[in-house]
Amino acid sequence: MILKIAFRNIFRQKRRTILTALAMIVGFTLSSVFIGWSDGTYSNMISTFTGNRIGHIQVHSRGYLDKPSLYNTINDVAIVGETIQSIPEVEAWAPRLFASGIGSVNEKSTAVRIIGIDVTRETKATQFDKKVIEGTTLAETASGQAVIGKGLAKILAATVGSEIVVFSQAADGSIANDLYEVVGIIESGDAITDRVACYLHIEDAQQLFVLEGRVHEIVITVSKINKVAIVTEDVQTRLNDPLLEVSPWQVVAKSFYKAMKADQQGDAIGRVIIMLIVAIGVLNTVLMSVLERTREYGVLKAVGTKPRQIFLLVVTEVIIIAIASICIGAILGIFINYLLSINGIKLPQEFTYGGMKFGTMYAEVNMRSLIIPAITVMLSAIIVSLFPAIKAARILPAKAMRTH
Amino acid sequence: MEQTKKHEVIVTDKVTKIFDPDGIPVNALNGIDLTITSGEFTAIVGPSGSGKTTFLNIISGLDTPTEGKVTLSGKIISEMSGNELSDFRRDNIGFIFQAYNLIPVLTVEENVEYIMLLAGVSKTERHQRVKKMLEAVGLEGVEDRLPTQLSGGQQQRVAIARAMVSEPTIILADEPTANLDSKTGNDLLDMMRRLNDETGMTFIFSTHDPMVMDSARRLITLRDGQVDTDETK
Repeated sequence: MILKIAFRNIFRQKRRTILTALAMIVGFTLSSVFIGWSDGTYSNMISTFTGNRIGHIQVHSRGYLDKPSLYNTINDVAIVGETIQSIPEVEAWAPRLFASGIGSVNEKSTAVRIIGIDVTRETKATQFDKKVIEGTTLAETASGQAVIGKGLAKILAATVGSEIVVFSQAADGSIANDLYEVVGIIESGDAITDRVACYLHIEDAQQLFVLEGRVHEIVITVSKINKVAIVTEDVQTRLNDPLLEVSPWQVVAKSFYKAMKADQQGDAIGRVIIMLIVAIGVLNTVLMSVLERTREYGVLKAVGTKPRQIFLLVVTEVIIIAIASICIGAILGIFINYLLSINGIKLPQEFTYGGMKFGTMYAEVNMRSLIIPAITVMLSAIIVSLFPAIKAARILPAKAMRTH
Repeated sequence: MEQTKKHEVIVTDKVTKIFDPDGIPVNALNGIDLTITSGEFTAIVGPSGSGKTTFLNIISGLDTPTEGKVTLSGKIISEMSGNELSDFRRDNIGFIFQAYNLIPVLTVEENVEYIMLLAGVSKTERHQRVKKMLEAVGLEGVEDRLPTQLSGGQQQRVAIARAMVSEPTIILADEPTANLDSKTGNDLLDMMRRLNDETGMTFIFSTHDPMVMDSARRLITLRDGQVDTDETK
């Protein structure tokens, strides 16, 4: 009967119900779009960041990530690679070798970061070939070719066809020194890297630094980003080598991840503010409703309704409105997020985040954008209805029935 | 109906009520001692402000006395908790108000049924009793209407049915005829007299209405919060 009275009261006070529901619907939808938008933006960033550069998981020799060293290498690349490949969720893996040196083209010289890559694997893992903006990618076999970053090309005034001399120190202490033909210029999206990057075929790089069969990093990409944690654990278990360290992208790109998390916390504050405004609106309408119906609650109490039942009546009315509002808000939220996930919003000015440029931002339709607003709307509705409900439950019947 | 042996249903012992709304104490009741026995048809009369409604509220547990004790069916209600009072009112007292005070969102049938629902009466029994009660107050055919779709007289009949359906010990009626025309008021009064005779329920009215005073078998006059006269006809 309490449920029946609650339902009928909702339809009886149509204007108040609509006002309360509107506050909840607007709050839900805003919150949902906020989350969908934020998640979409971050998914976009993460996928660009991981897909283009660091992969989803990386394997290093223990200690390399904290203190990179030419000598701290993964020695059994073939075995490690085979083990990684045996995991069904792994999409691709690519070995990398890193070293620093001096690069010279004609009279110009500058510091360079030599990155030895297996071009076939790198293309599969991070779409290396798509980043080449001039010339071609590296040949599949070692053939004395180099692809250099756009910024580096500018510093060295190098073009496709130029010859670059790389000068460094090899792992055995000897002087590493060789000449490579620039076959392509690359724009990775990370301007800082592009100012120093000199990509060589991994075998050329291994030969230059006397690191035959050894690499510094293995990049892994997985079929779905939400599988990263499981695959990281799986790789670590299967490798079963205490000298190897398997790290997810969140560890590899610690500062990027921290900045992203801090941004998300900022979003949470935004959501709290939205819900606070909603809660105040709901509290106002529910309080007014209780005030208007003081006499009615007095009568209900007079004829034997317990204070607890009056309390439940007020809370139930709010819960019913909240459920309906959540359903409507969910439809609106999905619709808006879907539209934004297809069309996105073109930013008036591109921005750089984590070294990557972003011009159009896309939203995402996901469960988080429905569950979090649903819980928030429901909780805030219940919390704000507690005070009016207690007030209604405590009404003194004799006094209440004197009101008009 | 065969009259059962009379017993005390309400005993008030030096009941005092002081209202203090604006910091100025007002004595609404001044040490009222009264005993009402079962089956009475009693009217409490007196000028406005004499304490009639306050007295009714206190003997029904809707309000608490500042001093004194109210015993209803052998239980001291002025010492009960909120929940105990709710149950006690539901099971022992039927209310009829001047402004009818029906639950606006419930139909006639649901309004009458409501108290039995609270008391946990089975669905079949509820329906039987509601049907019987609505017949008794002459409201067949309007079971599905909302209170707003009824006349004042019809609404008061629903209130009487609601008050009586759970067969309480006492029916308290606060100015039940005040909002009705004299014919409707008279009809309802006759009906309540008949139900009083048939069921032996105790009826206590607070009223200004000479018609109610004429019908009452006992007339208690309050003045300045005290019993002025107490006559049994």
